[in-house]
Amino acid sequence: MAEGDRLTESPSGQRGVPDFVGRPGPSAYHRLNPLTKATLATATAIAAVALGGLVGPIVLVTAAVIGPALAAGVLGRLVRTALLLSLPIAVSAFLVNLFFFPGASQVLLRIGPITATAEGLGFAAEILVRILAISGAVTLFYLTTRPADMTVDLERRGISPRVAFVTNASVQTVPAMVERAGQITAAQRARGLDTEGSLWRRIRGVLPIVGPVILGSIAEVEERTMALEARGFTRPGRRTLLWAPPDTGAERLIRWAVLLGLVALIAARIGGWLG
Amino acid sequence: MLVRWIVALAAFVIVILIGMVTIGNFGTGIDDNNFFDTEGANSFALIGAIALVVAFVAYAGVEYAQTGGLASIASQFDTRTIVLMPIAVAINIILGATVANALKLPIYLDSIGTILVGALAGPVAGALTGMLSNVLWTYVVPPPFQNGPAAAFGIVAVVIGVLAGLAGRAGWLRPRLNRPTGELAIGGLVAIAIVIGLGVYAYSRFYGTTFEFFNPANSDPIFTILGWLIGLLFVAFVIGFLVLLLIRRDLTVAYVTVAGVVTGLVAALISAPISANVFGGVTGGGTDFLVAAFRQAGADLQTATFQQGLLSDPVDKLVTFFVVYLVLAAMARRTKARFPQGERLLESAGADADDGEWRRATV
Amino acid sequence: MTISLAGVGYRYAGATAPALLDVDLELRDGEVLGLVGASEAGKTTLCLVVSGLAPRTVGGQIRGAIRLDGEDVDAWPMHRISERVGIGFQNPATQLSQVTGSVFEEVAFGPMNLALPRDEVAERTWSALESLRIDTLAERDPVRLSGGQQQLVALAGLLAMRPEHLVLDEPTAQLDPAGTRLVADAIERLAADGASILVAEQKTDLLAAICSRVVVLDGGRVAQLGPAAEVLGDRRLRDLGVAEPSAVRLQRAAEAAGVHDARLSEALAGG
Repeated sequence: MAEGDRLTESPSGQRGVPDFVGRPGPSAYHRLNPLTKATLATATAIAAVALGGLVGPIVLVTAAVIGPALAAGVLGRLVRTALLLSLPIAVSAFLVNLFFFPGASQVLLRIGPITATAEGLGFAAEILVRILAISGAVTLFYLTTRPADMTVDLERRGISPRVAFVTNASVQTVPAMVERAGQITAAQRARGLDTEGSLWRRIRGVLPIVGPVILGSIAEVEERTMALEARGFTRPGRRTLLWAPPDTGAERLIRWAVLLGLVALIAARIGGWLG
Repeated sequence: MLVRWIVALAAFVIVILIGMVTIGNFGTGIDDNNFFDTEGANSFALIGAIALVVAFVAYAGVEYAQTGGLASIASQFDTRTIVLMPIAVAINIILGATVANALKLPIYLDSIGTILVGALAGPVAGALTGMLSNVLWTYVVPPPFQNGPAAAFGIVAVVIGVLAGLAGRAGWLRPRLNRPTGELAIGGLVAIAIVIGLGVYAYSRFYGTTFEFFNPANSDPIFTILGWLIGLLFVAFVIGFLVLLLIRRDLTVAYVTVAGVVTGLVAALISAPISANVFGGVTGGGTDFLVAAFRQAGADLQTATFQQGLLSDPVDKLVTFFVVYLVLAAMARRTKARFPQGERLLESAGADADDGEWRRATV
Repeated sequence: MTISLAGVGYRYAGATAPALLDVDLELRDGEVLGLVGASEAGKTTLCLVVSGLAPRTVGGQIRGAIRLDGEDVDAWPMHRISERVGIGFQNPATQLSQVTGSVFEEVAFGPMNLALPRDEVAERTWSALESLRIDTLAERDPVRLSGGQQQLVALAGLLAMRPEHLVLDEPTAQLDPAGTRLVADAIERLAADGASILVAEQKTDLLAAICSRVVVLDGGRVAQLGPAAEVLGDRRLRDLGVAEPSAVRLQRAAEAAGVHDARLSEALAGG
């Protein structure tokens, strides 16, 4: 059976895997193989660090993040999400480097004992651009790839079904646990737990929630183990996959080219040719 | 079999040499006389960790080439471990995000799941839990939980998982209740001696060159205050530790303390170069303020991140190990026993012998 | 397929007292066997033993012999038994695999694990969904369903593996009345179609409707075994910690009140 298709009608008139399993994405970028998108995201992030300076990461962001995001139709969401993601770091990085850059001489501003320096500003700008590049690359991947597609693709390539299971289950467990924490918080609040207010109060408020969430989740381990084993989970070897994202020779080429380019970039950086 | 281990060892050594040379070149340039004094020496822990991962990949690669599968690794993961890991990953991510975003404390609390899995299932399982937590935290989890820098620190989580697994395997987390006072005192003193020893090493290596904590001639009052605060904290820690030891009469408190501090130290040494070189010392959590403070005192970026890490990480890992110990104590004996390393976490090994007609599962 | 237990005993890990002792039982093909007893009498343990989870997954020690169609299964790994005997549990939520986004994929999880060809997996999944009348839920997210619906999804997941025998441990215990109705109806339809089922329940009404025989456990041993009407109508049931079916209770209350109406008895017997 060719990759990426599902059997909709077999000769004997059986029903096949329905359409909603593994629906392909809305744009060409979405439909790229998850491994390709992951390679691009990671390479962009690493390249942003290796390039250094200001110009390099900005060009990188435009070419590798903003361009594809536009083509994929996710630019608006990307900007919002990436900014949200990098905001706490960006603010911290900016303030810290602006005001606390040691050995700086060019003073821009003086507020009491704290001074803002030009060197600090330069360094802060560099870090900011780098952070934006990394969060942009990562957010682009997150917005255009479903985690389940990634794991299915890896499983087709040979990753153990158990690794795929752990990854998929982790992705689902995070929101499930948050929901459970929310329920427990509501219940504890009804019993008079104080969750607002001073830092100390908030810390004390965390414990009666965290305890039940952790212990409750662990208590389920036994039942879940039994349920899985009752459905043939212990069978060694591969299992059938209902669908897998397609991969093409062209994409394979792109991945290798990107990887080699990255290695060359890192070598150039180490060798000092980039300054 | 032997071939795999030899290849892995060779890969390990090669990566370490490459790492020392290249990172040395990053900084002040390689100096033949002071090979171990280069910038690379500051990042020795990071290089070691990378070498460990590469060696593991090499091992897996050879096994795959030999047998077309990864049986020796996959067999360590039984269903129960597989079921626990997603829960552990979720605990890591949710707690870590809450502490970093909402509470803004200079600790992380993002390794409880990793250490729990390491203790129950073993070093490899713990390592994978850590790596998976960090990767998912960056690439897959939606905001507000998403944490951009997390994936870069995946290697730190790997080592934390390995150390927790080794601690569990060595039986360090086995409760040792109702010990005579003499035994408790010796255990307590040994633990404190180890912690002080490590503290002295850390101080001389990373703090002493920059400034004196208690020197009143130091221009910045903030550091005198910080110095006294840390001193007070340490005294409180020692008193609290001894009280805990004597009240609970559990000798394992000493083991857990040492495990926490050692793991924290190693984690700090590995994560500092990453934080400094990749993120400029800033990762968006409460720890950034500490880094800023140290830089204000005159330390360069590299040293400042070490200084911050060596304060935050041991405290964080100490708390985490104790939390894990508490969670283990709350788990039913039957639940723990079925995990791969579960027997080593029980108070007393209660192996049911096959007696007469009663027999255990053969598969 | 017949499952026979001969002198079976089971002891949980670390326990001195056995949870099951001297159980001789036969689960016949096409028969629905009810399992009742007070809580802690060993119902769940018996379900785990019959399905193979005890001692394989749960640990502990076993004695006696369990045979499927005469073949001793002591050395069978869990995944081999799971193809022949399926087990469902009380809690609908913990039976979900947590790795699927749709009910279809959830039900297909078992057959996928068995590495069957893709079209076979799809066919089995659709059949299971249709036999429980939840094919309309195929696209839904399993996590968002009601308890009763989730329990049906779990059941479909078992049926998709085409086991020869089903073991259900108190399938309606954690469901609200609507969910209980949903699941009870589904089980009744399966029973009517000739499925082989061992169902443990506190709600003896369901058992009265579908079981041909009922076994009562007390302290890990078989206290009674016989035709459903006989066992469930036995007055000693109360002493063994089991509530009698409402029809029986009504009959007794009527007799105690002096009402001897043949139409009442007829209606209760037929109902």
